[in-house]
Amino acid sequence: MISEFLSYGFVQKGLLAGSLVAASCAILGVFLVLKRLSLIGDGMSHVCLTGVAVALLTSANPVYVSVPVVMISSLGIMKLTQKFRIYGDAAIGIVSAAGLSVGLLITALAGGFNTDLLSFLFGSILTVSWTEAALCGGLLAVILILLHVFFRALTSTCFDEPFAKTRGISVQSVNTVLVVITSVAVVLAFKVVGIFLISALLIIPPVSALLVSRTFKQVLWKAVIFSVGCVWTGIFISFMWDIPSGAAIILMNLAVLSSCFGWSKIRGKQHD
Amino acid sequence: MSSVLKTENLSFAYERINVLENISFDVQAGDYVGIIGPNGGGKTTLLKVILGLEKGKGSIRWFGTPSAQFKDWWKIGYLAQKSPVSQSRFPISAEEVVLMGLAERCGSGVSVGELKSIYEAMQQTNTRQYVGKLFHDLSIGQQQRVLLARALVSRPQVLILDEPSTALDASSREMFFNLLGELNQKHGVTILLITHDTGEVGKHISKFMYIDKRLVFFGTKEEFCHSPEVAKQLGAFAQHTIDHLHNRHGHCPLGDSCVECHHD
Repeated sequence: MISEFLSYGFVQKGLLAGSLVAASCAILGVFLVLKRLSLIGDGMSHVCLTGVAVALLTSANPVYVSVPVVMISSLGIMKLTQKFRIYGDAAIGIVSAAGLSVGLLITALAGGFNTDLLSFLFGSILTVSWTEAALCGGLLAVILILLHVFFRALTSTCFDEPFAKTRGISVQSVNTVLVVITSVAVVLAFKVVGIFLISALLIIPPVSALLVSRTFKQVLWKAVIFSVGCVWTGIFISFMWDIPSGAAIILMNLAVLSSCFGWSKIRGKQHD
Repeated sequence: MSSVLKTENLSFAYERINVLENISFDVQAGDYVGIIGPNGGGKTTLLKVILGLEKGKGSIRWFGTPSAQFKDWWKIGYLAQKSPVSQSRFPISAEEVVLMGLAERCGSGVSVGELKSIYEAMQQTNTRQYVGKLFHDLSIGQQQRVLLARALVSRPQVLILDEPSTALDASSREMFFNLLGELNQKHGVTILLITHDTGEVGKHISKFMYIDKRLVFFGTKEEFCHSPEVAKQLGAFAQHTIDHLHNRHGHCPLGDSCVECHHD
């Protein structure tokens, strides 16, 4: 059964792209969760709808249209918090509502897009192209290089932003790069789990890893393993039982989170 | 003596309310400056502005270089009053926190030289026993000592501390201030310290800076203690500080040279 599953070209592409984007989201998610910016993924995913609607209206590739739209919106969230001193969650809510309403407006004006739009809302990992898989690979490579070079600046900024500034680290640049890269990850992830579930890929694996880790590096690699493992098992379950792959992936992530929570409780009692 | 930190007409306003007004001073290498003043007088804001955490008006020069062009931030160690992460479950060990004092360097690995610096800083602050322990599992006082090690790991020439002893017990506080005194006396580290605990630190401090939105007083401890004009100008708070320096702990920080103590 497993060899048959792995023999299909569309499954291979789905697994490759899904693994690459899941690993990217897991790494970025660790920093977003620790910086209490995890809901930014939710906001960006709503803005994705605008990009997808514009792309479908103009017959362009939704990925290429959504990347700049989501990037500009995420920078807008940062500007709202920095310049106008609006709380981060409120800024995310404002931009998210704007993105969703503009997307719905364009959809309504165009007379609806039927199945095309639905596939973006709920994910269609098995329709990923080789180009999109290569983009996912490029994204992960960029993240890994930045992580290696700026590991200390990133961890320091997450842990204690004022102290990081006193080390001469440009905290604003670190935050901007983090948010811009997350924008690209969010857009590439909507093919995997769908617009509605993107934020789960950014939040659940890091939270699971945080429950069962003792060092920062452990959190990073455990989040990646949990996330990629859930993509593989989720796609396999979806293939076996003919259910939506995005939902299966997220349900697997929730199962891992429950296990980690149980494990941390048991460990906590042992330590007590 | 060379200038370590020089400010000219430094001002800061928060939502149109003046917090600091035209503050000018020059801290020399080897000074141990106790920054005092009433609550809300702008002491913490002053430290934030000189460290670039808040943007003020006026001129700040670190080691003769305007702060906008200053690059050698490793020369400055900073310890805040309270760690912003003290309540969170950030998964990081004590020694990883100390390593953050070298965060301006690139790369994810740790060199042998850096490891040596980390263990030296932890030895100095008596925190080596916390190696391998999660930072958030330590008590607030233990965390504060680890954060002092983080401030020391780059072997700074200046230490800036904002009421660092608030969370420490009596023995840790004594160790803490003795260490600061040793760093200042033996290694020539310049120290700027916000404190209300003038009695205990008084024996180490060489200069006082009194901030109440404006720079009310900046001078030697002797000038501060013995000038009746200062007491008159500064009012009840300064008199309380002088009383504290002379009486509370049964010793005078000026030792035998203090005319007032011998007079008493």
